[in-house]
Amino acid sequence: MSTGQLKRFKGCEYLTHRLVLATLSGTPIRVEGIYPDEADPGVKDYQVSFLRLLEKLTNGSVIEISYTGTSFIYRPGNIIGGRVVHDCPTTKGIGYFLEPILILCLFAKTPTSLTLTGVTSSNEDIGVDVLRTSVLPSLQKRFQVGDELELRILKRGSAPGGGGEVNFLCPVIKESLPPIRLSEFGRVFRIRGIASSTRVSPAFANRLVESARGVLNPFIPDVFIYTDVRRGDECGNSPGYSITLVAETNKGCSYAAEHCGEAGETPEDVGSFCAKKLLEVIESGGCVDPYTQPSTLTGMLLSSEDVNTIVVGQLGITSQLVVFLRDVKALFNCEYRFKELESGQVEMSCLGKGYLNVNRRIQ
Amino acid sequence: MDEKKGHYAKHSGPKAEKKKLKKVSDGSASNNPKAFAVASAGRMARQAMRTADISQKKLHVPMVDRTPDEAPPPVIVAVMGPPGTGKSTLIKSLVRRYSKYTISQITGPITVVAGKKRRITFLECPNDLSSMIDVAKIADLVLLLIDANFGFEMETMEFLNILAPHGMPRIMGVLTHLDLFKKTSTLREAKKRLKHRFWTELYQGAKLFYLSGVLNGRYPDREILNLSRFISVMKFRPLRWRNQHPYLLADRMEDLTLPVDIEQNPKVGRKITLYGYLHGTNLPKHDASVHIPGVGDFVTSDVSSLEDPCPPPDADKVRRRRLSEKQKLIYGPMADIGGILFDKDRVYIEVPTSNFSKDENSEAGFGERMVMQLQEAQQPLGVDGNSGLQLFSNSDAIDTVDRESSEIDNVGRKTRRQPTGLINQELIKEDEGAFDDSDVNSADENEDVDFTGKIGAINNEDESDNEEVAFADSDSDLGGQFDDEDSNLRWKEGLASKAALAYSQSGKRRRNIQKIFYDESLSPKDAYAEYKGESAKSSESDLVVSDDEEDFFKVSKVANESISSNHEKLMESESDRLSKKWENPQLLAQLKSRFITGSLLDSIEGQEEVSQDDEEGDFEDLEDEENSSDNEMEESSGSSVTAENEESADEVDFQTEREENARKKEELRLRFEEEDRGDPEKKDVDWYTEEKEKIARQLVINREAFEDMDPESRAEIEGYRAGTYVRIVINDVPFEFVEHFDSRYPVVVGGLLPNEQRYGLVQVRIKRHRWHKKILKTNDPLIFSMGWRRFQSIPVYSISDSRTRNRMLKYTPEHMHCFGTFYGPFVAPNSGFCAVQSVANSFAKAGSFRIAATGSVLNIDQSTDIVKKLKLTGVPYKIFKNTAFIKKMFSSPLEVAKFEGANIRTVSGIRGQVKKAVDQEHGHFRATFEDKILMSDIVFLRAWYPVQVRKFCTMVTNLLETDKTEWNGMRLTGEVRHELGLKTPLRPNSQYQEIVRPSRHFNPLKVPASLQAQLPFNSRQKALRPRSKPTYMQKRTVLLNAEERKVRDLLQKVMTLHTDKEAKRKAKKAAEHERYHKRMQKEEQAYIEKKREEKAEWFAQHGKRLRQDGNSSGSGKRSKN
Repeated sequence: MSTGQLKRFKGCEYLTHRLVLATLSGTPIRVEGIYPDEADPGVKDYQVSFLRLLEKLTNGSVIEISYTGTSFIYRPGNIIGGRVVHDCPTTKGIGYFLEPILILCLFAKTPTSLTLTGVTSSNEDIGVDVLRTSVLPSLQKRFQVGDELELRILKRGSAPGGGGEVNFLCPVIKESLPPIRLSEFGRVFRIRGIASSTRVSPAFANRLVESARGVLNPFIPDVFIYTDVRRGDECGNSPGYSITLVAETNKGCSYAAEHCGEAGETPEDVGSFCAKKLLEVIESGGCVDPYTQPSTLTGMLLSSEDVNTIVVGQLGITSQLVVFLRDVKALFNCEYRFKELESGQVEMSCLGKGYLNVNRRIQ
Repeated sequence: MDEKKGHYAKHSGPKAEKKKLKKVSDGSASNNPKAFAVASAGRMARQAMRTADISQKKLHVPMVDRTPDEAPPPVIVAVMGPPGTGKSTLIKSLVRRYSKYTISQITGPITVVAGKKRRITFLECPNDLSSMIDVAKIADLVLLLIDANFGFEMETMEFLNILAPHGMPRIMGVLTHLDLFKKTSTLREAKKRLKHRFWTELYQGAKLFYLSGVLNGRYPDREILNLSRFISVMKFRPLRWRNQHPYLLADRMEDLTLPVDIEQNPKVGRKITLYGYLHGTNLPKHDASVHIPGVGDFVTSDVSSLEDPCPPPDADKVRRRRLSEKQKLIYGPMADIGGILFDKDRVYIEVPTSNFSKDENSEAGFGERMVMQLQEAQQPLGVDGNSGLQLFSNSDAIDTVDRESSEIDNVGRKTRRQPTGLINQELIKEDEGAFDDSDVNSADENEDVDFTGKIGAINNEDESDNEEVAFADSDSDLGGQFDDEDSNLRWKEGLASKAALAYSQSGKRRRNIQKIFYDESLSPKDAYAEYKGESAKSSESDLVVSDDEEDFFKVSKVANESISSNHEKLMESESDRLSKKWENPQLLAQLKSRFITGSLLDSIEGQEEVSQDDEEGDFEDLEDEENSSDNEMEESSGSSVTAENEESADEVDFQTEREENARKKEELRLRFEEEDRGDPEKKDVDWYTEEKEKIARQLVINREAFEDMDPESRAEIEGYRAGTYVRIVINDVPFEFVEHFDSRYPVVVGGLLPNEQRYGLVQVRIKRHRWHKKILKTNDPLIFSMGWRRFQSIPVYSISDSRTRNRMLKYTPEHMHCFGTFYGPFVAPNSGFCAVQSVANSFAKAGSFRIAATGSVLNIDQSTDIVKKLKLTGVPYKIFKNTAFIKKMFSSPLEVAKFEGANIRTVSGIRGQVKKAVDQEHGHFRATFEDKILMSDIVFLRAWYPVQVRKFCTMVTNLLETDKTEWNGMRLTGEVRHELGLKTPLRPNSQYQEIVRPSRHFNPLKVPASLQAQLPFNSRQKALRPRSKPTYMQKRTVLLNAEERKVRDLLQKVMTLHTDKEAKRKAKKAAEHERYHKRMQKEEQAYIEKKREEKAEWFAQHGKRLRQDGNSSGSGKRSKN
């Protein structure tokens, strides 16, 4: 018997998606060159935590971290899902751990009920509000996942203290994902958002809403931003406030932007900055925004053996995308095809691999 | 015999007139209206219901058929039958029917053209179990040959049971040896019996053909024609496994290993190429994971497509109704095609092939010119060797060489060989090898072209222009040379150059993006920066102002995670950038069009004004838009300004008003078109038709998505599609595969999905086959055929006990499914499999059915939960009321500590609990029970012990053996014991013995008097005092009178006589029965002896027929009993 050969990777950029792709393809990988030149070299606590989370979601995974921490070997097992509770470190937001797992849990043995605790909003990682209002509805709509795909925000926790809690429910798919074909992104017909605050005055949320609407209302009057003020046991350990904006188009696409308040910023600055970020994403165009793009590209890769097509805006072309494309080629032997459109966007096409949910149980 | 002409019918006269009137009256509906009405409403309703039932019964679950329509791969027709049933004769007859070729022996697949769009690959299935399993996975149609004189044989039934779990393709039965029947009635009876038995195994109405005797080494042409027509009209439905995996049947194998490596180490891993038509889904171009049954798992180093060696007729001649003789082709490099003189051709073929192979390897490795001179020197030898061939073969050879030469010249990388009139097929192989080398060279050339694309945009364009010019020059040169040979080829060359010119401009940019992103020498940040640089230049051509350019450059900055101070500075610069960006009124105006509140016309006019560079006009329009968010207000304010500013005539006002109205209508029309109202042409069709149309639409999208790419780039992205003739290069193949290669055994290359390359525990639902003679034992090795693989593993059988726990079983149930768990490669759940105990022919005993089990896969995992029961027993040594001290259950206090709180019970059913250990040396413990137990009670604890599955899995590598039919894996437990002379272990405690229980004497139950008084009257003991006087019955005395005394005496005498007579009769009867029993035993012994002799004689003849494998016309066969 011969198991698959070890794939070697250098660097730890986009590490979470690389680990998820390795778990889906069942390929053991070896990652080297993890922060070798820093004063504190080796893997960080959030990276080890993500590996532990993968270990809980799978059965039979083996993780070997070298003595210096600058390299590790990961041998993935079978994705089983189930009821999992994980405590995320406060150096990264919950979105850092949850966003790569969205596609992974669809191919589990049993439906997943994942409870994560940590920081719910941060400027470096995708926030849980963006996941709940923009990413999950897009996946449900395009890949025809059932209504059981849900994300509940039980508590909100701001950086650096954390204390937030979310519950992610994910069903399993029976066969494989359907192909998608997105070439028109339409025009924006409404904007929704959430302004949340923890351990600060409730007026902060209202000030966020006021400044954001000031920027967006000249373009469209249908702007509704809800406020979510948490008190008592539901507001974590640190004061903070954040705003999330989601724009929807008449062709079923959505664009999202978010921002958290930091030291030296007023709520008016945060609200207007977030609104301007949303305008930039809308101007960039495309059928997906940068937050939804990794999950959608992974779903296209795993769909049935048909051609998938999607239009990506200029903001989606990043160095992370290059790393993702190279990992996909190394682990799944699949290349995307690019075609530049006249309006500045890029059309990406690929042939699905016909990935089946082999982890499911008959009867 | 000529028919006599009848009399002319009369058309006039009284009789004719009367007939005319009668006809007119008969045809009138008014005379009998009931005859033209419906019979009854009920009957009409039932008829409609029946029509609906029939149409619904024909429906299948819609499944995507990924076989391409324009160039489908050849249909694989497997000819299967026991030895001596006429497999080779049938293939020869069919090949001659399709291609007019006469072949002598069949040693590999043969592909022929059967129609305008259909090609057929004939494959003779060997009779060993491994080959039968492999053929069952790839055959589209099975011709199952049955010897009508002999009937159904074990190989036939085994093959049918192998087909069932692997997808069950289409099957047609063929009866042979019908000319051996003497009587017509016997023939008819045999046909009927075999037909009904065949229908029992397959389905009612399965096709069964009857072939009479052999004539000139072939079956009669009329019968073969009918059979070929049925093959031509056969429709194939996609099977699930083959619709998800790419696979091919190899029809050629070459060894490319360097001779130097072979000399250094004869056992070095070989580098081989396999050729064949691709089936199923797309095969990736690089690093495809494949499995070759009989060899193992491999990763292909390169896959390339070749010219189709057996192409269907050209599309230009579709209007022809029949295929002409010249268009019928045949291709079978592993089979003996074209040989006339057996000895001469064999001697000739062996020596030049090895020489050419070595030369080819040397050239591929070293590229020495001296070897090329040697090749040129050998051409005259080849020409001399062709003098003995037929003219028909010569013409085919010439055509093939012409095509190969044109392809080689098309690349323009090698010196074109001069075509000669007489070239042997071995030279064809050499040309194909050279073509493969040219493919590699062309790939290198493409890489060189791509490398220049990294330098820069301007230089890249110049280089591309130079390359185009060079290519065009070479094309024109080649075109000039082709004037003398073939005008069609020159025309095709023109097409190729035109296509290259047409696609070069767009392909350049596409290739650049692919190469930028997938070039491993560039780091991701450098690749991104390079892409951004080009994107900025392309954006510049779209007339974007300089502010946009600066913003695009700023966007490309990436924050460094480890430095937080840079992050803060970046956020500040980001905020400033966005603020400055969205203060630009022009950008705001352009962004307005991305909202539904923006105008579709304003964006168009805005672009026009930008091109005019009229700054004053821009300012005025944008200011108006900013002030009002509604279109009507904008229009009204515009009109008011116009009214105030201009005093114009009525004509000018009318024109202005007309323009305003036209503008409004255009705006409304664009908004209406933008709304997504669905498809108005969509009708209310049923679910089945809708699903079918959806599948067809998706297939069209798949076909057209990459049509604007050149074939090389397309192969990089989507791989090679089914129907392509591909060449696969595989490294590190075991040397035995090349040394012991035998082309008669099929070589299958099956593609593996990402999940199928791992190993773990596979849980299956398994059932012993009802014809297998023994049940299966847990931990006995079993050979599974699952997916593409054949492997031996050790299963553990279990059953679900009340659906909460999996109990281990020692043997499989006889007529029931159970669960099996073993270590092996992963395969998707719901896949079928079959299992055998051994694949070696020597293992098969005469008349035994070898398929051991069948089933399907339920689950794959890395752990299992099989348990078996474990009962620990102990005895009490000290008993109190509810407490007892138990010994002999555990041996140490540590074990007692582990089981504290566990439930225990006695055999009589008193339940209890383990409490705590009582001493430090033995495992005695204190237990509490719900009642007082006795010293004779046995206490037991019921526990469940987890069973581990042995991680053993070995692939069946029969293709590496010298004798392909004698692969031996791990032996069964029974075989090992039999060989070592061991007996089956049998514990004395497991034997059932006579249970002797001493009778127990219990003390009488005594109820105290005080308790007795408190009981209700019904519950009290009632002890009666003994009577002091005898009863009346005891006291009375019966006195017999004389008459009664006489009767009693007479009866006693009669009974005494009767008893004595019966005793004598019984003794006599026993003696007679003993003599009869002896006689019956003798007769039984004689009958058994006679049966044994008859069986020996029957099998002697059966073995005699096996030795006549080559001779299909045996005699003296008798029907099966």
